[in-house]
Amino acid sequence: MLKTLKHGLIAAAALAVSAGAAMAEWPDKPIKFIVGYSPGGGFDAYARALAPELEKSLGVEVVVENVPGAGGQKGAATIYRADPDGYTIGIWNIPGLTVPQLLGKANGFDLNDVTWLATLGNSRYALAVKADSEYQKLEDLCSLGRPFKHSDTGPASTSSVTAYIAMNLIDCPIINVTGYKGSSDTIVALMRGEVDATIKPIASLNKYVKSGDVRLLMTFEDTPSVEGVPSSGEAGYPDFSKFQVVRVIGGPPGIPADIAARLSEAVVAAASSDTVQEWSVSSKRPVDPVGPEETRALMDELMGFYTTYKDLLAQK
Amino acid sequence: MGLDVLFDAVLAVFTSGSVIYVFLGVVLGLTFGVIPGLGGTTALALLIPVTFSMESLDAMYLAGGVMGATSFGGSITAILLNTPGTAPNAATTFDGYPLARQGKAGLAIGASACASAMGGLIGLFTLLLVIPVARELVLAFGPAEFFLLTILGLVAIAVSARGKLLRGLIAGGFGLLLAFVGSDTVSGELRFTLGTDYLWDGIPLVPTLTGMFALSQMIELALKGGSVAGNADAAKQRISGVWEGVRAVFVNWPTLLRGSAIGTIIGAIPGLGGTVASFIAYTSTVQTSKNPESFGKGNILGVIAPESANNAKDGGSLVPTVAFGIPGSAETALFLGILVLHGIDPGPSILLDNQREVYGLIVALTLSAVGASVIGLIFSRWLVMITHINVDFLVPVVVAVSLTGVYVLAGKPGDVMLAMIMGVIGYLMIRFDYPRLTLVIALVLGETCERSFHQTRMISDYDMIGFMAARPQSLILIVLIVLTLLLPSLRRVKWR
Repeated sequence: MLKTLKHGLIAAAALAVSAGAAMAEWPDKPIKFIVGYSPGGGFDAYARALAPELEKSLGVEVVVENVPGAGGQKGAATIYRADPDGYTIGIWNIPGLTVPQLLGKANGFDLNDVTWLATLGNSRYALAVKADSEYQKLEDLCSLGRPFKHSDTGPASTSSVTAYIAMNLIDCPIINVTGYKGSSDTIVALMRGEVDATIKPIASLNKYVKSGDVRLLMTFEDTPSVEGVPSSGEAGYPDFSKFQVVRVIGGPPGIPADIAARLSEAVVAAASSDTVQEWSVSSKRPVDPVGPEETRALMDELMGFYTTYKDLLAQK
Repeated sequence: MGLDVLFDAVLAVFTSGSVIYVFLGVVLGLTFGVIPGLGGTTALALLIPVTFSMESLDAMYLAGGVMGATSFGGSITAILLNTPGTAPNAATTFDGYPLARQGKAGLAIGASACASAMGGLIGLFTLLLVIPVARELVLAFGPAEFFLLTILGLVAIAVSARGKLLRGLIAGGFGLLLAFVGSDTVSGELRFTLGTDYLWDGIPLVPTLTGMFALSQMIELALKGGSVAGNADAAKQRISGVWEGVRAVFVNWPTLLRGSAIGTIIGAIPGLGGTVASFIAYTSTVQTSKNPESFGKGNILGVIAPESANNAKDGGSLVPTVAFGIPGSAETALFLGILVLHGIDPGPSILLDNQREVYGLIVALTLSAVGASVIGLIFSRWLVMITHINVDFLVPVVVAVSLTGVYVLAGKPGDVMLAMIMGVIGYLMIRFDYPRLTLVIALVLGETCERSFHQTRMISDYDMIGFMAARPQSLILIVLIVLTLLLPSLRRVKWR
């Protein structure tokens, strides 16, 4: 906490310096990297893997700071409200933060104004059932004569939103059993036979596929990436590939263009470094960095996509 | 799986010199345990970023050392100051503090040290025994059983409040009210958040516990003045009878075993944890006792039961972890967090892929359970001096340290505010004789209770009773609930 205090003092001191001078010397002090989740989670792991490489390319210390709370919104608001001087950036959960904003439940940030710097990577979803389940394809779940049961953590989670919109798109009745303590717990619920199926990121499900506990029915992407499992594109559900978890790096609105450009470059370089790529392989967390233009385009596309289903989400 | 893996892990910790990390963890755990307001969760949360630069196995040793040591450390303050060092020690104050007042602090600390070590060992031994069937065990218990277990816990509240039934129920009801603050797990609607996003995730546990147990007691002490031991008892507050306390644990082995069994089982249920475990161990010991009136006045069994339970829970909380890589407690969640930081993705094959880390943790926990008690006993002689310190010095230090601990955990000023509010509520409860632990138990149980109630309704296609009736494991719990409710009246009949 001394660090926070120190940063506060430094930030106050920096205000005294003229903006032009500060820009010329940027970066000359530590950069804060905000994570809206607790230490030890997925977003935190990305941030901590990236930080040392960012330090190398920027030449200043990069301090990871966890600001958990309100489903990641507290962290988002902390980044959004920071001074746009290039000394505060953070990692964003899309569409985990998109949906609350659309429903008017966002507190302290507006994704349309965020200075997007780079996309670290995205995780695709898959539909899974218990290994010895009789269901062989998505259609089996839709014709049970009752809504099929789906396990999830909370009603606002990204995978809940995905399951709800996707199944509504194809008129497949679904009951979302929420309250499980984490994505592993939702998969264990599937194995206990409490629910019929679950839609979760492929990386989370893969471990259970390998251990022979669950079976994938379909991956949510255009071209299949898992051997022997059809993609949603092949199965005739082209819209399903829009559903994904995207991990994006962004800063407060209004970061000067030259500083934003250097930050973007540094993030992409750090994410492409051997160290981070090796970490990506060993921990099975996808890292395929793309720059600011593509990121902005993706953000606009996803915002547009979820806006289409705003009414559906509101009545959920 | 087998003993050879365990022997390798034991050999590894000694030959590599990494045993120093276990030792460091134990010292850290004892310190965090002894200081009211700081506990295992805070210690581990603070350590997570530090372990980033360590080897993953060394990080496990450190974490295991901390995990195994905090609850014994906390019992020392519970006995000497009537202030639980960590929340799970709350039940220990009921009989530990009266013992200290009678000049038998040594007896209580000796019993607590031995019960903690034995409970920890029994919990870990049980864990090793069930590892081969851990998967089946975890799969056998679902939301229906979690719901019934929370009901059992709530029933225990009613039964525990003997003589003060109404006050106990009021405190429990208040705890339940607090448990329902935050977003609804099913609809996502926000409830009682007072317009602030601070309360979206519900009433956070650590600040509440710190306020309820540590700050409230400090207010009480400050208003009383003097020193805890008081001038009259000062001469008596020496550490004697430690060995008598140790012996008492073995003489009363049924209490030890029951406490350890309850601790292990409750520990394995995600979301319940040590506070609930030691509370249920305590109430069940009182219930089955031939003279329940002797509790609350310095019965040594009232120390043995909760202390064996809150150390045994560590072994239990690792059952879901070894089975599927899911946490059984706040501490194991942080342990898994450390693995994630080291690029390990815990999952169903955690025992195959990360055998080294898992067994490393088990060995560290074992060493810590015994080591903490030994170290604690050596230093208890000096720790007793705490009770002689004038409260004018003691109170400000404890308040400052515990509030700092609350702030450091998540860096939220709101947590500090909440801890202070809870401190005042807790003090009022002491003043007007309402049981604080009852409130806390209801708060902890309420969340799991509501969540698993909704889940059971949905997965049973809205036929909960039929669903539970078809599950033997549910039926056993229902029978236990009925028995717990009937026991007081049954006893009355028998005595007549």
